[in-house]
Amino acid sequence: MKNIVIGQYIPGKGLFYRMDPRTKIISVITLMIAIFLLGSIPQLLVAFSVCAVMMWVGNIPVKRVIRGMKPLIILLLFTFFFQIFFNKEGKLLLDEVMHVTVVSVLGIVLWTIIWRLLARIGKFKTVLLLAYIMGIFVLFRFLPFGYSFTTFRFAIYEKGIEMSIFVIIRLVIIISLSTVLTLTTKPTDLTQGLESLMRPLKIIGIRSEDFALIISISLRYIPTILDEAFKIMAAQASRGADFAEGKLKDKVKQVISLLVPMFIIAFKRSEDLADAMESRNFVPGKPRTRIHELRFGWTDIGVGVFTLAALALTIVLKVIG
Amino acid sequence: MAIHFQHVSYQYPSGSYQFYQAINDISLSIPSQGEMIAIVGQTGSGKSTLAQHMNALLFPSSGSVDIFGSTIRQKRDKKISYNHLRKHVGLVFQFPEYQLFEETVQKDIMFGPMNFKISAADAAELAQKAIVQVGLDETYLKRNPFNLSGGEKKRVSIAGILALDPDILVLDEPTSGLDPKGKSQMMELFTAIQKQTDKTIIIITHDMDLVYRYMDRVIVMHEGRLIRDESPDRLFHRKNLAELHLDYPETISVLAAIKAQFSLDIDIYQKDMDAALVELRRAVGK
Repeated sequence: MKNIVIGQYIPGKGLFYRMDPRTKIISVITLMIAIFLLGSIPQLLVAFSVCAVMMWVGNIPVKRVIRGMKPLIILLLFTFFFQIFFNKEGKLLLDEVMHVTVVSVLGIVLWTIIWRLLARIGKFKTVLLLAYIMGIFVLFRFLPFGYSFTTFRFAIYEKGIEMSIFVIIRLVIIISLSTVLTLTTKPTDLTQGLESLMRPLKIIGIRSEDFALIISISLRYIPTILDEAFKIMAAQASRGADFAEGKLKDKVKQVISLLVPMFIIAFKRSEDLADAMESRNFVPGKPRTRIHELRFGWTDIGVGVFTLAALALTIVLKVIG
Repeated sequence: MAIHFQHVSYQYPSGSYQFYQAINDISLSIPSQGEMIAIVGQTGSGKSTLAQHMNALLFPSSGSVDIFGSTIRQKRDKKISYNHLRKHVGLVFQFPEYQLFEETVQKDIMFGPMNFKISAADAAELAQKAIVQVGLDETYLKRNPFNLSGGEKKRVSIAGILALDPDILVLDEPTSGLDPKGKSQMMELFTAIQKQTDKTIIIITHDMDLVYRYMDRVIVMHEGRLIRDESPDRLFHRKNLAELHLDYPETISVLAAIKAQFSLDIDIYQKDMDAALVELRRAVGK
């Protein structure tokens, strides 16, 4: 491992890259609040298109934003189905009796096996998962044969559909907003921004510089420590402790053989780092200058005004509606 | 041949889309018996990557490596027990800190053999043999590996691999960080092991004196390519080693300087200082 990318930052140019991280953080939080104030699907759709225009203006690669959503797809699906099943308001749209019988349970077992086999191929995993979930309902509905364990009703209401779409759009907007932030801001800028924003907390005795330093050192050392871990794994593998092979009983010992050197090396590194910092006159808690000073520019003012306008508009809509 | 490289290339994944070519189209054969092989080359020339292919820690991005009859390709083959290959080819890493973890030296040396289902009693015996082999005495077995000096740690880590009794021993810079005396002791140790057991020993090193004095064969890496595979004698008879970021052994450069300065008729290719002195005495007629 020569280079490990931490976070999602991709280097580039554009509106959002020119901004001060502080403005970005505050704007994203404010816009999120604004999104939560919106109360109907048409309003959200407008917000969604504004969001899309924003990404287009800022030259954000849409592919990367979509890829950022992938890990959250389970959450999206869960909220979607949760709303459909448990929201019992509005007009009744669909009402079916589902049969849990010997045949349908067997069918589901078979269906699960087919699904796992297909998932092995590795493509279209999400589509497959959706098909699997749909398939379960089809099987419960249309296989009422054999000994019946129990039956249950499956009903979909108008409000359920509406709410599920509403929640999904809201989540998608919020995820894309935060992805825009992480795509265009270096982790170090992000921590520097947070540090600067948290500075007023000094009054209650929290020193934001320390936190920022801790975060930036941790981020800096993740690739280094990971690299060390791979080296230790290789060294132990050449003594017959291959992590890819071996039984569970052996694994415990293998993990110990990885963890002990990891800790020793990490402590050694932190001592060295502390020495290196002190020999360059670093004193914890003392004020220090920076190479990169944060500065607000015209873009920040523009985006700030836009954000406040958006928040004001949503509040007005909330009060009227 | 015990290990056979066929057009092996390896790329480290790097960044999001780029790859770093560590070794490039390497073909090479290593016998299981009787050779002392040095791998030399500047930092980043792919020496360690090459070594890690020898016991299937890395799988080639293209090409194949035969290790004692198993063919290693890019994809993991479920029929091959990669773990087992490592008993045949023992690889000692440069830094002992990466492998020591037990509370006593004995337990740490026993870790390897016991991974290969050798009983604790037999493993203890192997540990005892190995610690003597690396030139430490048995009192070390009860000590904590983390309280040892750098050189001692290094010896213990080598003992940890020797206890596996591999057919081929690969050592990544075994003499780095040792004092001059420790260096020659370590090399004497390897030649002794090689003489006793007739194992092939492969050493990655930057020390040309050691290469010239102890090794039978030298493999020169440069920017991921294998550019020389010959005897040290032939290598050091070449004129332009500096282009490959290699040095001449001390004896050769000193004798060459003396020869040029005093226009003496001497054979500059002497393997150690004693031989160089004898040659000098002969030349000045004493």
